[in-house]
Amino acid sequence: MLKRFVILNFLILVLASAALAPVLFYNVNSGSISFRSDAPMELIKASSSQLKGIFDAAKKQFAFSVNIRTFSGFNSPLQLEHFNENYLESDKYPRAVFEGKIIEDIDFNKDGLYYIRAKGNLTVHGVVQERIIKCELDIKDKVVSVKSNFTVLLAEHNITIPKVVHEKLASEIKVEVKAVMKEK
Amino acid sequence: MNPKTILSISVFMLIFLSRSVGQDTTDIMKQLEKEMGKSEKEQTFYTTSTFKTTRLVSGHSVENTGKRVMDVKISHRFEKLNEGSYSLFGLDEARMRFGFDYGITDNLMAGFGRSTYQKTYDVFMKLRILRQSRGKKNMPFTLSYVPTFALRTLRVNVPGISNDFTSCASYTHQLIIGRKFSDNTSLQIMPSYVHRHLITLNTDPDDVFAIGIGGRQKLTRRISLNAEYYYQVTRHQLAGTNNLLSIGFDLETGGHVFQLHFTNSQAMNESNFIAGTSGKWGKGDILFGFNISRVFTLGKKH
Repeated sequence: MLKRFVILNFLILVLASAALAPVLFYNVNSGSISFRSDAPMELIKASSSQLKGIFDAAKKQFAFSVNIRTFSGFNSPLQLEHFNENYLESDKYPRAVFEGKIIEDIDFNKDGLYYIRAKGNLTVHGVVQERIIKCELDIKDKVVSVKSNFTVLLAEHNITIPKVVHEKLASEIKVEVKAVMKEK
Repeated sequence: MNPKTILSISVFMLIFLSRSVGQDTTDIMKQLEKEMGKSEKEQTFYTTSTFKTTRLVSGHSVENTGKRVMDVKISHRFEKLNEGSYSLFGLDEARMRFGFDYGITDNLMAGFGRSTYQKTYDVFMKLRILRQSRGKKNMPFTLSYVPTFALRTLRVNVPGISNDFTSCASYTHQLIIGRKFSDNTSLQIMPSYVHRHLITLNTDPDDVFAIGIGGRQKLTRRISLNAEYYYQVTRHQLAGTNNLLSIGFDLETGGHVFQLHFTNSQAMNESNFIAGTSGKWGKGDILFGFNISRVFTLGKKH
């Protein structure tokens, strides 16, 4: 009886160390995030090249973030101002974050194209939403290129649009993320 | 060893193990936090929207018009409220100014306007010398310089007063030091100097120094309460003039900013409202007024 428990604990220890041992971190080397609002009367585009992120291959965990103030583009300086002041309230909620875990198991040592799902919490405008976001990973010589397209519903993140701009601002924003990740 | 103890150790280890490979992203978030902090320190974030528009009420705010943006401003100042119901509390008549402001660069704007008050034309420039920012470049406040030239074209038939160019011209130089303290609160001080050639009395000064103070408090995301006050420091101020005090609201809707206010001056150009305000709040010489601002983005899109 006692022996069995000792063996069990030993096994757990081995398992634990195996799971934790290959600490392999990937860091975003260059990352960009862009979004577009395609409304009947106006198309608004903006982007930031200041996307940061970390991926822990052993735990399959990731965390990405961008500072809202780094977005540029827009159709006018006033639009940028309203984006920061009225919609995203970037002084109050300076960053957008997506953190979670990859569902699929993939071998990062093997080159190839992988389609995976990232499950986690997306925080925009201070509101957290659980999301599963599809990503395309292109692995080549341990360099991981991440590409992803998804949408953000403004209403889900408590971003309200006044009636007068309904025709100029889409309620669903298309987001594109591109990042090149390298071993840390 | 007691099997129970061993079992509890096993359970504890299992929990520990499942935690470490589970959803908990605390460690990785801490790392990312550090990285974000580092990258944010390497960039300069300029403070924006210290005020909703380039005017507080009648005077300039520390805000500039964006590059290649034209701001068309239409302003009205009605008559005094204490005129009573016969003239609908001053609403029967109004002084009007229309003006065009344009952002030449992000830090330099220029504008001109024409006011029915003494048929005055005015031109100005606003140069932002320092800009409030944080991050790589840390600047606690914004500093702007605003020179204004105004020309009265109303001909007066008063003996001793000439209607020639130099007599009708006035010059104002202002420094504006402003700071956005929080999302909702911004304050600014405006040391100002007004020079005029036209003086009616011998005791009237050519030069008037004034200190202005103004600010805004946001009430909702799109409405703010504004106030401005100009205190004439000069010992000899123009006979019969008072300090300017204006209180108003900014209402923002898309590309428009509506400013509704109460003030004791009918004038909408610096030299007249800083050094030539005749109304007195205490006596009820308060008048209602409004500015409408509409911005147009000219040239290439950003």
